Amino acid sequence: MSEAAKKPELKPEAKKIPRPLPRVNAYMDTKPFWAAAKNGKLVIQYCKDTGKPQFFPRPVSLANGKRNLEWREVSGRGTVYSFTNTYSAWPGHEDRVPYLVALVELDEGVRILCNLLNVRNEDVKIGMPVKVCWEKLSDDINYPGFEPA
Amino acid sequence: MPKRKDIAIIGYGETKVTLRGGRSSYDLAGEVFAQIVEQTGIDPKIIDGMSIAETMSETSNPFWGVYMSEMLGLPLAWMQLNGLGGASGIGGIARAAAAIRDGLCETVLVLASDAQSSSKPTEQGAQRYEFMYPVGLRGPVGAFGLLSQRYRHQYGLDERALAKLAVTQRSHALMNPNACDKLRVPLTEEEYLNSKYVSEPLRMLDSVMVCDGANGVLVTSTENAKKLGAKKMIHPIGYGEMTNFKCNEPLADSTVSGFTVAGPKALKQAGMTTKDVRMIMPYDDFLIALIITLEDIGFCPKGKGAEFVLNTDLSYKGTLPLNTSGGQISAGQPGLAGGGLNLVEGVRQMFGEAGERQVSDPRNCMVTGIGAIPYGRNWAVSNVLILEQS
Repeated sequence: MSEAAKKPELKPEAKKIPRPLPRVNAYMDTKPFWAAAKNGKLVIQYCKDTGKPQFFPRPVSLANGKRNLEWREVSGRGTVYSFTNTYSAWPGHEDRVPYLVALVELDEGVRILCNLLNVRNEDVKIGMPVKVCWEKLSDDINYPGFEPA
Repeated sequence: MPKRKDIAIIGYGETKVTLRGGRSSYDLAGEVFAQIVEQTGIDPKIIDGMSIAETMSETSNPFWGVYMSEMLGLPLAWMQLNGLGGASGIGGIARAAAAIRDGLCETVLVLASDAQSSSKPTEQGAQRYEFMYPVGLRGPVGAFGLLSQRYRHQYGLDERALAKLAVTQRSHALMNPNACDKLRVPLTEEEYLNSKYVSEPLRMLDSVMVCDGANGVLVTSTENAKKLGAKKMIHPIGYGEMTNFKCNEPLADSTVSGFTVAGPKALKQAGMTTKDVRMIMPYDDFLIALIITLEDIGFCPKGKGAEFVLNTDLSYKGTLPLNTSGGQISAGQPGLAGGGLNLVEGVRQMFGEAGERQVSDPRNCMVTGIGAIPYGRNWAVSNVLILEQS
């Protein structure tokens, strides 16, 4: 990391739009996810036939192609599978630069794309234990991020 | 399927790659079409099929392919729209070959054209609004940042190999008049290693620059090519394709790509091993993709890609010439016509028309494609095409 810290970094661009809020139910019924999030609970889909978890939400079970799915609360605990320190922002995130995006592997066996919060890039290690934390993006939306456990 | 030479590529065309050139995808495609007519000397009326890549610039028009047929004045017995992103070029050849073999048409214009840098960004929708945009992953750049970090964790990565790839491709682009002018400046390994991070550990010079451009090839049966008196012809002899490798396995290793399936399949069909490959034009949206592609196709063991790159002469004069027109990273990425850039260079080399960067004894060529960025894995589509002389 010390080597990387010496490298020049991109300067943040001007912010043109607000940070995007999730558009609930944009492609399928995800209301249970956001309702749970509002109460500080992380839920993911499970296939009731095979017991297999999946994320992001899908209209069918990835295990057997059926629609016999349910939402179950998970521990919110996992480990960092990979991460990247973002200097070139996605539109609406310019004022957060540099920010950490990660794939966190939940103990239940799925990976979730998320922000790592309350930690610096140089302190993140792959395999590091993390736990869910919530960013309040609006009155209705809590968004799951992860922080060191 | 055993090796066959019943299908022939008899012509190719390519525009110069430009940054925000302002010309439409139709106009760029027209230039390619006219080049192919001129080069082959064929009567355009014999073209009865079109296999065209989806675009970023015209994607809001669901009739893009049909409009193109009308624009070019081509009545078609068969039309195929390929939505495989950067894999659409060689995927388009495979589909054209199948259609010709099935008697649906005889002569197919395989076309890709995209004025992405002159157009407004498009929207891919699906889960992105809820589970990607609020996080701020920076599109393909962010996804390859995650992939690079994981790769380094599992195998280590000697950055000198990335620097060598960057410099080798750039030196090729300097000899390619069709490369984007902005990129036709010399590059050193130090400059690569000092390049700014965009999504650490991914650097600016690991990445393509989105541009405008078009390219295409003309495909027909070998029998028809002979009847037409084709001046030159080469043959697709092996093909493999994989879309969304292991997308039903939530914990699949993200460093392993669909090339582990598509590569061996194409080689087996061609009756070849990686040692028989004379040159390779691998799809290069990011330099790390080249390392993973070479490993997964089987040029070297997993995790040894950097070592392979450092120990192999990849220049146009070398033992395994790679992306001799500069690749997309050093010639510019003409949007979703990007895959065609690697493809057309392979055809050009095999026709012996690559000028000062001509590879000696261009007996065969491997071309690869990569398309679309999935959620939390490497890339969505991997495909491999092997071309051989008659």
